[in-house]
Amino acid sequence: MSKIQNLELLVVGGGPAGLSAALAAANYGIKVSLSEEREFLGGQLIKQTHRFFGSEKEYAGTRGIDILKKLIDEVNKNNNIEVLLSSRVLGIYEDNIVTILNDHKMKKYYPQSIIFATGASEKFLAFENNDLPGIFGAGAVQTLMNVYGVLPATNVLMIGSGNIGLIVSYQLLQAGVKVAAIVEAAPKIGGYSVHASKLRRLGVPILTSHTIKKAIGKEKVEGAVICELDSNWNEVKGTEQLIKCDAICLSVGLTPLVDLLKQRKVKTTYVSELGGYVPLRDENMETSIKNLFVAGDVSGIEEATAAMIEGQIAGLSVAKRIGKNSKDEIEERIEEAKNELELLRSGPVGKKIRKGLSKLGLNHGKNYNEKFSEEALDISHLMKTGVPSEENLKNKLPSEEKVFDKGPIAISECFQRFPCDPCVKSCLFNAISENANINNIPYVDFEKCTGCGICVSKCPGLAMFVIHKNFSETTSVVIMPYEFLPRPHKGEIVKVFDREGKYLCDGKVIRILDGKFQDKTAAVSIEIPKEYYLQARNFKVEEGNHG
Amino acid sequence: MDENKVIICRCEDVTLKEIRDAIREGFTTVEEIKRVTRSGMGPCQGKTCGLLIAKEISQMTGKPMEEIELQSIRPPYGGITFEEVTKGTVMENDK
Repeated sequence: MSKIQNLELLVVGGGPAGLSAALAAANYGIKVSLSEEREFLGGQLIKQTHRFFGSEKEYAGTRGIDILKKLIDEVNKNNNIEVLLSSRVLGIYEDNIVTILNDHKMKKYYPQSIIFATGASEKFLAFENNDLPGIFGAGAVQTLMNVYGVLPATNVLMIGSGNIGLIVSYQLLQAGVKVAAIVEAAPKIGGYSVHASKLRRLGVPILTSHTIKKAIGKEKVEGAVICELDSNWNEVKGTEQLIKCDAICLSVGLTPLVDLLKQRKVKTTYVSELGGYVPLRDENMETSIKNLFVAGDVSGIEEATAAMIEGQIAGLSVAKRIGKNSKDEIEERIEEAKNELELLRSGPVGKKIRKGLSKLGLNHGKNYNEKFSEEALDISHLMKTGVPSEENLKNKLPSEEKVFDKGPIAISECFQRFPCDPCVKSCLFNAISENANINNIPYVDFEKCTGCGICVSKCPGLAMFVIHKNFSETTSVVIMPYEFLPRPHKGEIVKVFDREGKYLCDGKVIRILDGKFQDKTAAVSIEIPKEYYLQARNFKVEEGNHG
Repeated sequence: MDENKVIICRCEDVTLKEIRDAIREGFTTVEEIKRVTRSGMGPCQGKTCGLLIAKEISQMTGKPMEEIELQSIRPPYGGITFEEVTKGTVMENDK
């Protein structure tokens, strides 16, 4: 006879969804056991050094690693949560018995309810020599660099331009690694335009309608052959080119990690929009098995913000079912969370998710305000190249040149509708507005703007600049966000680049805001010849200048 | 493209050629292909190859992805020694 431990709620997975689920339930008195297979909590957040998008309420503008610290702190303080680290769930059986490998023992548990927040795994790609050493998943590269401080290579070819591909490319550059190019098979960039623009300003080419044919190398990767694709995704003859690199990083999407769900015979179905095989579930995150819930990427691939809200919904739903009191209050909080999710998914970038969910019989798109699901501007050129069109820029710059005469003003180079508001929330003068919906594009009220530059450090997409056109008779000043080391010194001469990473002119650093408030996104004021104030959007510090 | 140089299952070193040959022979489910080629039987339990094989079946047979199932996934999820199994169970006699 074996001893089986009874549990109220078992949460599997200590990432953003699992942590949020545990907290939501524990705050209503549910006894939670949180099982995490690694020796530390955090899931993917542990390597996300960039700032998050989304609404301020869900930690937008905060770096992933800092969101994680807050969540772990709350979990550790909560007496209702027991954290099981280095605890891999090995199996879930038909009678709902769960086995967990912990402390070199296989232990048995009988939970009243379970929330699976097991996340996702990376997709792999079939091409010639795809087993050569030096071919990595983007997640592996990010873990090596940002968790263990190990450089994966010196010159990387990135395959895939979704947000992960773009973010990891940027982080590679931050770590001093060259990114040879970003290759994207689709005719347009998959991730947010602001991430793409950031890379273009740094001189990284983004090749849309291109694919990798094969990896080259004897013992390890020495290069790759890429080629162009036509509108039917067929190879265009004669377009092959060799790209030299010592690593190929695959960022071709994630797929829900449904292995444990399949052990329990939870119904799954293939929904390409959600990343692959996903569990059928209702709006409260409950699967086809009663008292078995899902949250986060395992229920369909989305952003971490959505995962945290789904975790809350699942946790609250369990609390509502098990708890004896505060049912109305819980119900209210579930509704709030659902509205928040709806808002996040209501823009054009949420279109795919909405389509996927409707295939699962959820939401049916009926609640969504279609007004926000189309782009406000024509951004086809931007999404193909990462560089905004003249037309796009005209829309965001002052309509009259004389506005620049009043002094420094903030310029927002954010052209795409997606749920994000740190620029709006950071402005002390209420000069930035997105017209009452988080999915709208922000516009600056140049009358109210004082050019203080707070927004330059707060925009997660590095899309805010301050321009002081008439700094002197012959020069202008542009305040730019800067996230690289070494930092420039005051008075230093730096190379200034345009939106495509082309060298424009030399500039002089006249001020650096790089304190606690800027949180590692320095706002650097660069003095440049007046003729370039509309083009200068990036700079590089010369290596030799720093001893 | 040289099908022999494209790896589909990295754990068990199964190539695209082997997968395509199996489908041509009439094995048109992921589960069957797992049994005849060993793809998906390695430490990653098919996380790398499962979706690629399903897509290959879909392309070669014309069957939509929605009609293709992944392989069965059984406990234990990941490797475990017999010692770990027995240590975790408290036997009646032990008390």
